[in-house]
Amino acid sequence: MTGIGEAVRAYLPGLALLAGGAVAATLVADAVPGLQPLVVAVGIGVGLGNTVGIPEIAEPGVSADKLFLETGIVLLGAAVAVEEFLAAGPTVLGLVVAVVAGGLLFAEVVARGLFRIGSPTSSLLAAGASICGVSAVVAIGRVLDARGTAITFAAATILLFDAATLVAFPLAGEWLGLTGRQFGVWAGVSMFSTGPVAAAGFAYSPEAGQWATVTKLARNSLLGGVAVAYSLAYAARSAADPGVRRLWAEFPKFLLGFLAVAAVANSGLLSPAALASIGRVSDALFALAFVGLGLSIRVDDMRAVGAAPVGAVLVHLLAVSAVALAAVRWLL
Amino acid sequence: MASNRDDGIASDGPATGAGLVDRWTALDRGWQALALGLGIVAAHLVGQAL
Repeated sequence: MTGIGEAVRAYLPGLALLAGGAVAATLVADAVPGLQPLVVAVGIGVGLGNTVGIPEIAEPGVSADKLFLETGIVLLGAAVAVEEFLAAGPTVLGLVVAVVAGGLLFAEVVARGLFRIGSPTSSLLAAGASICGVSAVVAIGRVLDARGTAITFAAATILLFDAATLVAFPLAGEWLGLTGRQFGVWAGVSMFSTGPVAAAGFAYSPEAGQWATVTKLARNSLLGGVAVAYSLAYAARSAADPGVRRLWAEFPKFLLGFLAVAAVANSGLLSPAALASIGRVSDALFALAFVGLGLSIRVDDMRAVGAAPVGAVLVHLLAVSAVALAAVRWLL
Repeated sequence: MASNRDDGIASDGPATGAGLVDRWTALDRGWQALALGLGIVAAHLVGQAL
């Protein structure tokens, strides 16, 4: 037994753990009216991760959660009505670019000026809060040659806000009476990491989930450009690493898959039954991913985060989400 | 791995499998998700054509 057999054996316990959590989430959500299975999946993951923890044997399989999330997003392309998204596209894209650019500058000013956080930690926090959470922290950290401790510190801060906003945004959306599209775009431009954005969107409504994911994908696609901008600003990169290569290296490739599936689905090649089946596979992958997302949220790690980064990111989040809220209410 | 090669044709299966696993794990996660997603859609297209 080598190769595929060994790999399957290594991944099986973790996959079984994710699948068990996803099945349990579906059963609980079916039994309790009003509960969203994806939210229950995150809750089960948080509960398990912070009580019994992840057994060592299950770690490889559990680490596949982000692959399931990204594959689920690729398949979500089959559920989007391209005409509707194209109609709102320029508005949403303009909002995304404005919020990312403005948010980055604002976060840098707040972190350095108000909370006296030095660089590159200020830039790691700004990138994490403005683009795509922990993956942006890691990508920009790599570009700026940041120390491992600075990256860990910034990533833990972002994770803390991922957990808090995952609960707070759907509640705020209900309270504010936002439509599914308004909430999805609002969460997509304001929240941090892709998993919690999608989870919060689907917790609100299926329509909100689609808009949140598409908006977040547009935001993620700016990571390469931001990485190039940071590397030029810090002048910390070698000449052998050209900007175009960096742009492509940081581009989320699964976004191409999402676009391809959306094109195939909207061309009429797939029957309604096939589209429904792909939707079910996407839902199942999201459920697996959200159990894994919950397992990755560790309360103990978040206690170790310092007050200054929490303050800086909180000021950024409040300001950006307030501006974004006004914009989505006005424009959508 | 050397002994596998010595086994000739019978060992090609596992060796190829190991190569596939290595190639797959070396892929960027975004490419993996793209391949899986398109594979699932392709399977549905084939399924409805049969």
